[in-house]
Amino acid sequence: MPTAIKVMVDAAPWLLQGAVMTLETSLLAIALGLPVGIALAVAQRARLRMLRGFVSVYISFARGTPLFIQIMLVFFVLPSLGFDIPRFCAGVIALSLNSGAYIAEMIRGGLTAIPKGQVEAARALSMPRSLMWRHIILPQVLALILPPLTVEFTGLLKGSALLAVIGIVELTRTGQQMVAATFKPLEIWLMVGIFYFVMCYALAALTRYLERTTQVYRAV
Amino acid sequence: MDFDFSVVAFGFPILLRGLVNTVLFCTISLPAGLVLGSAVALLRLSHRRVARLPAAVFVEIIRDTPFLVQAFLLFYGLPAFGVRLSAATAGVLVLSVHSGAYFAEAIRGAILSVPKGQLEAARALGMPYLHAMRRIVFPQMLGYLLPALTNQIIGAIKDSAVLSVITAPELSMAAQMVLGESFSPVETYAMVATIYWALIAAVSAGLMRLEKRLFRSDAAVPRPDTPRLALSALETTAS
Repeated sequence: MPTAIKVMVDAAPWLLQGAVMTLETSLLAIALGLPVGIALAVAQRARLRMLRGFVSVYISFARGTPLFIQIMLVFFVLPSLGFDIPRFCAGVIALSLNSGAYIAEMIRGGLTAIPKGQVEAARALSMPRSLMWRHIILPQVLALILPPLTVEFTGLLKGSALLAVIGIVELTRTGQQMVAATFKPLEIWLMVGIFYFVMCYALAALTRYLERTTQVYRAV
Repeated sequence: MDFDFSVVAFGFPILLRGLVNTVLFCTISLPAGLVLGSAVALLRLSHRRVARLPAAVFVEIIRDTPFLVQAFLLFYGLPAFGVRLSAATAGVLVLSVHSGAYFAEAIRGAILSVPKGQLEAARALGMPYLHAMRRIVFPQMLGYLLPALTNQIIGAIKDSAVLSVITAPELSMAAQMVLGESFSPVETYAMVATIYWALIAAVSAGLMRLEKRLFRSDAAVPRPDTPRLALSALETTAS
């Protein structure tokens, strides 16, 4: 069916714009999610019991409720608290708050790979905790979690499709608009799927490459 | 911000009905996904390329596209072939297929965790392939399989929230109904989040208990020479 192919090819330039937006959104979300995750992971090891309790409730909530509901919550709660922010910001905030919890869990896993003697040595040298985190623990852990971080990024790329629901014009929202304009849902959604597939497949290849090249750090 | 408790009184019963539907969706889709996943996992481990390739392609396609787009494709795309499904049917179908691909990966990993010699020995003794899988490999892979499966099951429950976008009548769809009547998004979504949180906490606690029960002994994985023990434990828990 040549008309179907024509529909798909005609839609491609618009969908490409949407894909760029999807990539930007996900990149921003992971860039913000990483510091959130680091903060959570450090707070999880804090001496304050309250802080540790807060972190475990936060992580349990972020991992125990659908991302879709979290996006809706952020989208509606922030304005009602008096923060009048554009929907794009609400979407990115929701994604990064969610991914922060997953990154914190990754870091927690990575921490177990750091030999205990390193922390003990830092303490024995009476190194302040902040220095220990910045110079000894985090550099090693971050190298260790680089491959799973790209997996998380792939997850964000797919998760960002949900932002279409709050009206952010990324790849999926562009798809919805194209369907409304052409009345060809099959062709358009196939094409949207192909765009996502190409991005995620490329990222999976990157993950495998990083897994190979960061093996040096794993040998410790 | 004031939290309006009258919305809770009004919306909670509606949301509970939505929860029942979400549970219903999952109790149909997850077993279907498990059957599909087991078949795909076995195909992926076949030595025949004709069997391996389509299974691998299926898993890659599902894993590299968003659930939402899969739902749109199925719900809005199928009518082009003359197949018109209700939102609920399409929702169950897409959730089954989606979770099937993820289950397949978990099951494949679990099968690969059992030393190859186990299956080879069973086959050498003349056991049919599926029989050997069930009696020899399956009991030994349980220790590996259950944690992985728990993750995927929870993921599938969370994914089911997306089905409201194709108007399948589950919990987050009920949220939109409550929202339409009460115009109180904060209260509504806070309730919905709490209900999902409780559901997922209950499911993961249940699965963790099952895991503990199966491996009550100190061994992380049941001993290879007593494969039937694990199976009978599974049967008593299920009944």
